[in-house]
Formats: sequence, C-alpha cells, structure tokens
Amino acid sequence: MLSSEHFAGWAFVTPGVVIIVLFGAVPIVWSAVMSFQSDNGLSPSTPFVGTANYRELLHDPVVTQAIQHTLIYTALFVPGTMLVGLVLAVAMNRKIRFIAFYRTAAYATMAISTISEAIVFIWLFDPSYGIVNYFFSLIGVPQQQFLNSPSEALYVIVAMTIWGWSGFAVVIYLAALQGVPETLLEAASIDGAGPWRTFRKITLPLLSPASLFLAVWLTINALQLFDEVYLSTSGGPLNATTVLVYYLYTEAFEQFNFGYASAIAYFLFLVIIVITVIQFWVGKRFTHYRS
Amino acid sequence: MTALSAPARSGTDGRDALARAPRSRRRGWWLPFSPWHLVLIPATVILLFPFVWLLVTSVETPAEALHFPPVLDPHVIRFANYSDALASAPFVRFFVNSAIVSVLTVLSNLTLCALAGYAFARFRFLGRTALFAVLMGTLMVPFQVTMIPQFIITKWLGVHVLASVGINHLGALILPNAATAFGIFFLRQFFKTLPLEYEESARVDGANRLTVLVRIVLPLATPALATLAALTFIDSWNNFLWPLIVTTSTSEMTLPLGLATFQGAHSTQWTLLMAGNVMSLVPMLVVFFVAQRYFIRSVASTGLAGT
Amino acid sequence: MTKHRLRGRLAVLVTALAAVSVVLAGCGTDSGGGSSASSGPIQIWEGWTGEEATAYAHLVTEYEAEHPGVKVSSLYVNNDDTLQKVLTAVRGGSMPDIAYLYGSWAPNVAQIPQVVNLTQVVKQPGVNWDDFYAGERDVATVDGKVIGIPALVDNLAVVYNKKLFAQAGLPLPGPNWTWPQFEADAQKLTDASIKQYGTAYVTPGTEDTVWHWEALLWEAGGELLSPNNKQAAFDSAAGLRSLETLRTMAVTDKSMYLDPTDSAYANLFNSGKIGMLVTGPWDLSGFPNVDYGVQVMPSYPGSDGGHQTISGPDNWVIFNNGSARVTAAEQFLLWLTAPAQVKYFSMKTGDLPTRESVADQPSVVKAMDASLPGDAAFVANLTEVKQARPQMTMYPKISTVLGNMIVSVLLGQSQPQAALTAAAAQVNADLAG
Repeated sequence: MLSSEHFAGWAFVTPGVVIIVLFGAVPIVWSAVMSFQSDNGLSPSTPFVGTANYRELLHDPVVTQAIQHTLIYTALFVPGTMLVGLVLAVAMNRKIRFIAFYRTAAYATMAISTISEAIVFIWLFDPSYGIVNYFFSLIGVPQQQFLNSPSEALYVIVAMTIWGWSGFAVVIYLAALQGVPETLLEAASIDGAGPWRTFRKITLPLLSPASLFLAVWLTINALQLFDEVYLSTSGGPLNATTVLVYYLYTEAFEQFNFGYASAIAYFLFLVIIVITVIQFWVGKRFTHYRS
Repeated sequence: MTALSAPARSGTDGRDALARAPRSRRRGWWLPFSPWHLVLIPATVILLFPFVWLLVTSVETPAEALHFPPVLDPHVIRFANYSDALASAPFVRFFVNSAIVSVLTVLSNLTLCALAGYAFARFRFLGRTALFAVLMGTLMVPFQVTMIPQFIITKWLGVHVLASVGINHLGALILPNAATAFGIFFLRQFFKTLPLEYEESARVDGANRLTVLVRIVLPLATPALATLAALTFIDSWNNFLWPLIVTTSTSEMTLPLGLATFQGAHSTQWTLLMAGNVMSLVPMLVVFFVAQRYFIRSVASTGLAGT
Repeated sequence: MTKHRLRGRLAVLVTALAAVSVVLAGCGTDSGGGSSASSGPIQIWEGWTGEEATAYAHLVTEYEAEHPGVKVSSLYVNNDDTLQKVLTAVRGGSMPDIAYLYGSWAPNVAQIPQVVNLTQVVKQPGVNWDDFYAGERDVATVDGKVIGIPALVDNLAVVYNKKLFAQAGLPLPGPNWTWPQFEADAQKLTDASIKQYGTAYVTPGTEDTVWHWEALLWEAGGELLSPNNKQAAFDSAAGLRSLETLRTMAVTDKSMYLDPTDSAYANLFNSGKIGMLVTGPWDLSGFPNVDYGVQVMPSYPGSDGGHQTISGPDNWVIFNNGSARVTAAEQFLLWLTAPAQVKYFSMKTGDLPTRESVADQPSVVKAMDASLPGDAAFVANLTEVKQARPQMTMYPKISTVLGNMIVSVLLGQSQPQAALTAAAAQVNADLAG
C-alpha cells in the first residue's frame, strides 16, 4: 500500500516536474555556475573567479539601496494588493446587477499591457499635468513631485502595481469565497452575529489558504519587480526605484557584467527563499484547511 | 482553497441559497439599488480608467494622439486605425500563433498541474517536500538570468529531440511553460482544502487514484481550474520576452511581438499600437467571460447527488 | 456518470490533439535564424517602424529583384531589445547574419568573436568609406577595427515653437545665438499659470540624460576624458559652465520641464506647452500641431566649442555564419548603404543621409525638408559634429556616473561643482580599477 503511494506520487508528478526541472531548475543551476565566473556576455571566455562577484556585491552601495527599495516595495505592495483584492472580491461576490461587468473590469487589469498601464500612471502622476496633483490642489494638499522625487517615486510604482495586480487578487479571492458554505453564514446570522463578526470569525479563516497563497505568490513577484521600473523610471531618479532585478538587468545588458548579475540574482534567490519559508511557517499556524 | 459547501448533503447549492434570501437582505432598504454599487462603481472607474485611454487613443488621429496631457475627447474619430494596424503586418498569422500557443499551454497546464498538484496535496511519497521546494525555487530566479541557458536547452532539444520544440517554433513557446510551479502550487493549495471523505469513500469502493482525481476531485475543482485556465491564458497570451528571444522569423511571431512593430525605439505609432492592444484584449476577455461562469461552482454538476 | 466518462474521453482527446498540434506546428518552415547552412536567406534583425519599415521593405524587394536567387529575411526587433537577443543568440550559437545595433554598444559588441571585421571590406573600391561622416566612422571603428557599417545618423539641435516665441515677443533664435540667450528665452517663455515651460530635459539618468549634456560640455570647450581616456576631464571650467546652465533653468528659473520617463516631453511640445527642445530629427514627425523652427545649438561666449553638436550613429553589424553567408551579407549591406539607396531611404523617411555625397545634393535636402519641415537644418547640422563620445568598453559605467551627476543637479540635490568633483573622482576610480 505504501509503496504504491510512492509510485503513484512520482507517477503523477513526473510529467510536470520533468518540464519544470528541465526549463526551470537546470537554467537556475547553470546560472549559479555563471555567478562564479567573470563573464561579460560577449566573449566565450568566462574564467572562474570564485566568490569575487559575491564579495563585490556585499560592498556595492547600489546593491544596498536596491535591497532596501525591494523590501520596502514588497512590504507595501503585498498587503496593499491583498486588501484591495479582498474588499473588491467581497463586494463582487453577490448577485447584483452588472456583477459580470464589475468582475470583468477587475480581471481586465491583468490583461492590459504593461506599457499602457505605465503610460497612464505616468500621466496621472505627472507633477504639472497629472490628475493626482490637480486633485491635491483642489483639497489643499501641496503639489508633489512624484516620479521626479527620489523620496516619492517608489510609492508611485507601488500604486501602479497594486492597480495592476488587484485583479489577480480579486480572482483568487472570488474563487475562494465560493467555498464559504452558505449554511455556516446563515447559522451565524441566526445566532445573532453581525456581518462584520461573521466575516472575521468565519469567512476570513476559511479564506486563509487563499490568503497564504496570495501572500506567497505576490511576495515572490514583488521581490522580482522589473517591468514597471524598466518602462517608467529606469531605476531613477537617482536610483530611487532601482530594485534588485532592475539592477541586475542593467549590470548584465548595459554594463556587460553577466557574472555579477548572476550573483545578484542568487543573492535575491536566497532572500526570496528565506522570506517564503517564513511565510509558509507562519501560514501553517494561521491557515485553516477544512480537511 | 475552497471548502466543499455543506449544502451538498442537503441537496441544494450555494446559488439557490442566495437566490432564496429575502429581498430585503439583498438590497439596502434606503436605496433603490444595492449599496454595494457605491463601492463597486468608483472602484471600477479606477480599474477601467487606463482602458478608457487605450480605447480613445485607438480611435484618434495621430495629430490628437500626440498630446500631453492625453486628449480624451477627440474631435475626429478614426476607426481606420484598426484596419491600418491589421494591414501593416501579418496579424492574422500572429493571432493564430498566439491562439495555438495559449490554448495548448492552458490545456497542458490544467492536465499536468492537476496531476502534480493532487499528488503533492494527497500523497505521501519519498522526496515530496524536497521536490516541492525545488519547484517553488524555480519561481524565485528572474527570467533575465535564466533565459540564456533556457535558450541553449531549447536549441539542443530542437536539434536532438524534436524539431518543433526548438528555436523558432511554436513548440518552443509552449513546452517550457507546459507546466508551471505556479499552477502546481495553486492547485495543491486548492486540493488541500477539499474534505477527504469523498476521495476516501471512492478509494474504499475500489477506484484507483487516477479515477478519484478525474471523477471525484476535478469536478469539485471547477472554480480553481477555471481560475488557473484564465490566469495561464493571460500569461501565455501576453508573454513577450521569451518569444522575443526564441523567435527568428516573422511567421512565428506571436501577437505581443507583432504589436511591438508599432513601437520603435525613437518613435511609436500610438494609435495603431492601441488599436492592436484593444484587439489583443478581446480574446482574453472572452476567455474570462467563459471561465467566469465556473467561478461559481454549482454542486449539482458534480454528480455527487447520485453517489 | 455519463458526464465523467465524457470528461475522461475529452481529456484523452485533448492531450492527443495537443501532441499532434505540437508536431504539426513543427512541420512548417525550419527557417531558424543563424543556421550554419551556406545557403538560405540572409537573416537580418532590424527595428524599422512606420515609414522606415516601408522604405526598407521596398529596398529589400528591389535587391531581391536585382539578384535572383538571393533572399533577405528580416525580423523586426525593437532596437532597445536587440542587444539582449543578440547576446543570447551568440551564446546559443544561433546568430543572425546582420543586426542593427546602437553605436553606443559598439565598443562592447566588438568583443564578440563572431563579429566580422570589415576593415578590408570598406576599403574596397566603390564603397567610399570616407563618404560616411566622420562621426559615424568613429562609432563603427573600435581599436582600429571596423565592425559595422553606418545605418543611421542624427544629431541634436534646438526645435522651437514659433507661436510661443511670437506671443512672448521674443526674436526667433539666430544661428549665432548663445546659451545665455537660450536661458533668457526659456525664462520668458515660462508661464507657471498656464503650465508652460521654456524648455525640457529628460531625466531618467540613462545615456539619454548624459548625451544631451555632453553637447553643452563640448560647446563650452570641455572634454569628457583626457586624450588617452585614462582620466576624467569634465570637472573643468567648461563642465561647471555647462552644469550651471542646466541648474539655472531647472532649479533657479524653473523654466525646464523635467521628464523622468522620457515619454512626455515630445507630446508636451506638440501640445504647445514647451517653447524649445534640444532634440533630434526623429522627433520632428511627432510635431504635426506646432509651427516649429530648427536652429543650431547655442554656443558659449568666449569658448572655442562653437555651435558643435553631438551625434548618435547606429551600425549594421555582420556575424560570422560561414564565409558564404558573410559574403552575401556584405554584398547586401554595401548595396543598402550605397549612395543611391541612402538617397532613396532618406527622401522617403526624413532620416538624415549617412553619406556626405547625398547630403550635399540640394535637391535631396529640399525634398526632405518639404516632406518633413526642419529636416534640412538637421542635415546641415551634421557638419557641426566635430567629435564622438569615447569609444571604450567602460563607457556605460561612466555614463551611469554622469547620469546621476546631472540628475542630482537638475533636481537641486547637489551643487554643480560638488557634483562634478564627486563624479570625476568616481570616474577616475572606475577607470583605474
């Protein structure tokens, strides 16, 4: 019985695993090798330099800045997106008029091309001509420099990406909300619990697997932020929006330091692993699987 | 990630329960419509605003599109942008390529990730945790770093194994994404939330594990499968960097690469690009509309009533 | 029950279909790029869009008609992305025959062993290598080795809005104008109440930010590096003067719109919100709503830099896929960059002619100016290109330092002298180590 479960386990996972290992794990190991080499991406000569790349990154001030920006960005983006997604999913989990339209609007934000998203947000946050500053002027808040300000640019990127990802969170939470049994909710209201209490005590715990999934997935993505930075600020102003993946991209394809870029990627890999493991460990305590 | 609705035992499903709720519970008594619209409408405005810009730009003349701040109330509407966009490059071919790649990627993901996700959720097998960790690990290294090795592997496969998965073939766009750690993770989480009773009773009745998966579990998983299908479709449809790297002839280009022909390094044809973007959005929205029905799982369709 | 059996069968059918499709999809063409077969089409990766794409396609058809049996297969790749694709292809052994690569990448691209050395090729009779502008030849040559044939040339000049000048009661910029005049004009053209700016500057901190400033540095009589490229030379009086100009406009007068994303400035000019832009001919077609004029770059009084400008030529680079393909690629490129084709392309697209012999034909320039007003001024301005940026593999690193220096001054975060000193120290450290 036991051996047949082992066999079944491996039989079921093999097709998917083969593909992921071949196209995912092998390139990752390959790149790990690259991180111990001096490689400019141009000539085929890539001599081993041991840990030189890693030692360099420990002393690179831009790496320190990039780590800070990446972590701050993630700490704002992940809870922000989850919250927006949850609120919208709860709002959309009902049979009112136009509900299909509202849901499609949320989903559509995932479908839009990043360049379109970037253009609109750059416009919205333009210090002189954008709607946000116009709105601020109406309510008496001083005009901000947004993408021109090293202290504000990262937050504009946070806003842009929360917008772009909230549709994903809505879709995940909507699917999860389907599994909240109506009878449980009815029983709670019969017992006299108000809607907010019911939500807190029944719905949220039942959503916890979805929340864990979202937290892990959004974090993994946030720590690898690239496209929005590439398409808008190019890491600026003055490295204010330089995050780790953007920095390693410029190191590889602008500075021709492939070995160094690989080392940065592996450093990031380590950071992501640690954070993900922590999330799973914390999640184990708070997640409630009905089985 | 969703629990099985208890109403299955009482023979009703979630949708009916909601429909039977007294009308006063579905609408605020002080408003002629549900108060939730007050939340949803502003939210939708914010969500859809970039699409307004996209749509309006797609029917503007270049003279009006080249404005900043963007012009959202153009004087001249030009629908010819759409036909111009289609005529400027073999877009039908790009569309077909994208469709083949995306559909096959979705189907293969649904199959392979369901198999693997179920095994990770339910079976205890040697190396399970380590293997799952390895799979999750593949999500944690950015593509810019892995694309060169992946290119070399793809080329090797095309030369030594099967030409249609090599450089410059659609197979090369499908195969690396035929199963993703995301899909396996997603379905594993979902499967873990299903109560074990149904699967256990089926096993007791003599069904093998594959049958249990296909006949018991998957029907219960329609919301998750529909969600995974929709998400995988978007990812595949919009994928740009890997197709850019691996495609070397125009006839194998996918839609995002085709749209990029409007985007020069020094100047962009915004009106054509946005027209192209709108056309590219339509299939994704269609897929969502179809999938969206399955987001509300109806237990009546699981066939459990008969068991 | 029936539904499940159906579903099971459906799954099997679908998987079979999938397998069949994948195999069938491969039964199409095996026209992979960079195959080492000696026959097959010439594979080119280029980034022409719009009219350039049309003109280029026409030339390709013409070439194929004149050379029966020869096929040219072009793949569109946005020029910004070509380097990534080329580097991956080189590592994977699947290079194209020809690729369009930015001139700023040339010193590094020259390190790729598969890049063909064209030094002897361009010396052949009939090529007239010296007919290409010096700035282009400088960028196509690395350490004495010619690694590319010029594909595009441009330069920076000042495009101004005639209506805004008239409204402000200002005389239009003249050919002998100076930077103090530019500053004064920019200030008078700025009107905060209607959000109108005198000028604009792009501030992503990339080379785009840097090369605009380098023109000013050269006009102020300064140099970027010492003649042997071993020391920073920009922290000079000229460097200070050029940075002060930018600072005055951005910080003191607030007459300069700062565009951190490189996306708004052109549309702003077209919307009549900016008085003057330092930009190149590629932007002209984006100004259909403005009655604009083009003038040379201003000079600095007392400097010997004159009204010189900076140019950003790009190259066609050939990769070695075997001698037969290299020969075919060379033949095609030499034809494509011959005077007749350069003339055709320039007249059709408004792109500046890469050859002096073409630019010297008044009829050509007149025709270009008729379809793209202001183009003639940019063509004439090619004679103001007196030098090129340092051709060295370390240039990207220096560019990053300079970009941060300029942006910090523009944002008012540092004073010009301090910024220059710090940047020079950094550059010297990078050059030494």
